[in-house]
Amino acid sequence: MQIIRMRPGSGRRNTLSAITITAAALALTACAPGAATSSSAPASSPTAASTSVGTAPVTLNILVSTPDVPLFSALGKAFHAKYGNVTVNVTSQDFNTLVTNTPHILSGSDVPDIVRIASFGNLVTDQLLTNLDPYAAAYGWDKWPQSQFASTRVGADGKQRGAGGLYGVGPGFGLTGIYYNKALARRIGMTEPPATLAEFEQLLGKAKSAGLLPILINGEDGGTVYPLQNLQMDYAGSPQAVQTWNYDMPGADIDTSATIKAAATLQQWSKEGYFSPGVNSVDQTQAPADFASGQGVFFPSGNWQAPGLDKAGNGKFGFFLFPPLQQGGKFTAMTAADTLAVPAKAKHVAVAAAFLNFIQTDPTARNDAVLLGGIVPAGPTDAAVPPAPAGSAVSATVAAFRQLLESNGLVDFMANATASIEVNTLLPQTQLLLAGKTSPSAFAAKIQTDYESDLGT
Amino acid sequence: MSYSRTAPRSDTATGTPPAPSDPALRGVAPVGPVPGRGSSAGRLRARRVRSRQWGALLWVAPAFLCYAAFVLYPLGQSIQYSFYNWDGIGIATPAGLANWQAIFTQPELLSAITHAFELIVFYTLFPVGAGLAAASLIRELKPGPLSTISRTILFIPQVLPLVAAGVAWTWLYSPNGLVNQILRATGLGGATRAWLGDFTFALPAVGVIGVWVMLGFCTVLLLSGIGKIDPALYEAAGLDGAGRLWQFRAVTLPGLRQELVVCTTFTVVAALASFDVIQVSTQGGPGYQTMVPGVEIYRLTFLDQRIGQASALAIFLTVLVLLVVWPIQRLGRTD
Repeated sequence: MQIIRMRPGSGRRNTLSAITITAAALALTACAPGAATSSSAPASSPTAASTSVGTAPVTLNILVSTPDVPLFSALGKAFHAKYGNVTVNVTSQDFNTLVTNTPHILSGSDVPDIVRIASFGNLVTDQLLTNLDPYAAAYGWDKWPQSQFASTRVGADGKQRGAGGLYGVGPGFGLTGIYYNKALARRIGMTEPPATLAEFEQLLGKAKSAGLLPILINGEDGGTVYPLQNLQMDYAGSPQAVQTWNYDMPGADIDTSATIKAAATLQQWSKEGYFSPGVNSVDQTQAPADFASGQGVFFPSGNWQAPGLDKAGNGKFGFFLFPPLQQGGKFTAMTAADTLAVPAKAKHVAVAAAFLNFIQTDPTARNDAVLLGGIVPAGPTDAAVPPAPAGSAVSATVAAFRQLLESNGLVDFMANATASIEVNTLLPQTQLLLAGKTSPSAFAAKIQTDYESDLGT
Repeated sequence: MSYSRTAPRSDTATGTPPAPSDPALRGVAPVGPVPGRGSSAGRLRARRVRSRQWGALLWVAPAFLCYAAFVLYPLGQSIQYSFYNWDGIGIATPAGLANWQAIFTQPELLSAITHAFELIVFYTLFPVGAGLAAASLIRELKPGPLSTISRTILFIPQVLPLVAAGVAWTWLYSPNGLVNQILRATGLGGATRAWLGDFTFALPAVGVIGVWVMLGFCTVLLLSGIGKIDPALYEAAGLDGAGRLWQFRAVTLPGLRQELVVCTTFTVVAALASFDVIQVSTQGGPGYQTMVPGVEIYRLTFLDQRIGQASALAIFLTVLVLLVVWPIQRLGRTD
């Protein structure tokens, strides 16, 4: 044993000197990390758009997240039925893996023709996506209600959204609102969805006095941020301020009286006991399960929960958009497009564009989006509304989305303003707010400071 | 399917040349006994020593090359990245010391580091203490089924992936989970709470997961150490009139010095670099109550794509770990 034992002192010194030398050598010989050749001509200069898929056999490769596979396999089959020369090949990755890997996949050598993206990040700056504007003109997407495309338009700086080149479209939208348990709602005398915020707050009070849990919500992973944004937009009288902020427009500021008032109301709801005592540990798996089993009168969430709730009890659950402040006021709601993008290195750009047009307009494809994806297709105003069983939660979300589309009230999530604003700021700050550990004004100020530091301004 | 591979973060995108292994190798030339510098040793002896060095180097080379390629080179790259603004794909721009300054001006970071140190209590103090007690007790058991079973039970948590452990514990801690069910069944209904959503108890609750995971490792390692101790020492101590407590102090503890150092080092590093359990169970919440540097680095890298900032924080954490582990390692020196 004694023979091979190295003297600890010398061993450490050696390792250290090795590290130092390696680092020094690197510093001397290395140039800046990153692609050296990416300063070529910008990919955003669009080429002429063709609406033809040709006749030669083509395999269209689509990369989506795993839960989306049934939907896109069905859409692929429907597309193949219409265009026999195109075979759609769907591959998938777990959502988080996909989010993490997307930049590397798109900059690699084996690039799909269509990819599901969660956020643009630096994809536009790094010139990894195709500008779809020529196809929007060729297929007439530019004649449709434009708020459906706002969140996927990216400015020339690659950061600002809401205006600029179109880099993504999709089969449908996620939509947020409030589910209600019809039986429990009847018990507190609710015959129809509340028309104003005041009516909604009255119902919450009645539910509390009746010994029911007024609001079931997932406070562990961000559910409580939804009502905060709804309240903010109600008090502000318009989603304009939030939207400007979401899209990283210069000078956007959310530290306003409306935000402070929204935070104060949410904190008050918590004080009144409208949330469960353990709200900050309820996650997005537990909340819908508990709601489906009959706990909670209201459940603020999104239309992606509707198919599951219908399965748990068809006809038992309804859905309404968060009520406006005043009677007859404009409805606004957070929505998120299921965004598909065409990589800059895609081999079959025109076919990919044809597929994107198909999923937005074809009646079969639109039905698939609702029934398999739990998302609502937008498209032109005169497009057929996909049928859903009357009284189901799905049909309620579809109807709510048409109502929203007509009033052009689609708003992006505050969570999407920067890549980490949700996990690093909105979520922990809302948890502190509900626990009474921060004040509404400190809350509003902190969100704005973190936003600015995220954007590096 | 063809996209399932994870593209390496760095190599494909960087223009940096491969690891300069040669100068690095020369840097560690004196492996083994260092020749007595300045002494008047004979030339023959010096030559023998030198040739022995080169022989030793040959044996070390394969392992060192791997270490250099997969540890030292990436480490050097991280140091380099920390002086750039880079998203991992596009063009990197020099950032000077900005990334390093940000570390010391972020208000949340100090609390994250504090939490990591608080976790040492749970990851190190409790498991090593309880592991010592458990090992001493198991030593006195006769080899047989009972001793094997207790070893196995204690070691099982070490076999499970930490993510699985985190998920399972999240269920146990949930408002209607087993922990609260037991409290209600024993008439302690007033003490029930959503453990991981509670501002006071979230960090200790996460810490208990660490105790559960680390205890088995410490016990098994310490047990094997006790097995090495000459039984005659216990016998002699017993003849001198030492009771169990004194035998523990005079024989077991000194005999386990090396194992204790390994246990402490391993668990302290696990505490300071903790990531998986927290990412799965609390995501740093409620508020910032369980935030640790590991989660912060992950978010900077994969959410914000701020590789430079993430590298700076990672290097900072590495240095911090080295500073803490260094004195512990010195305690383990026998010469």
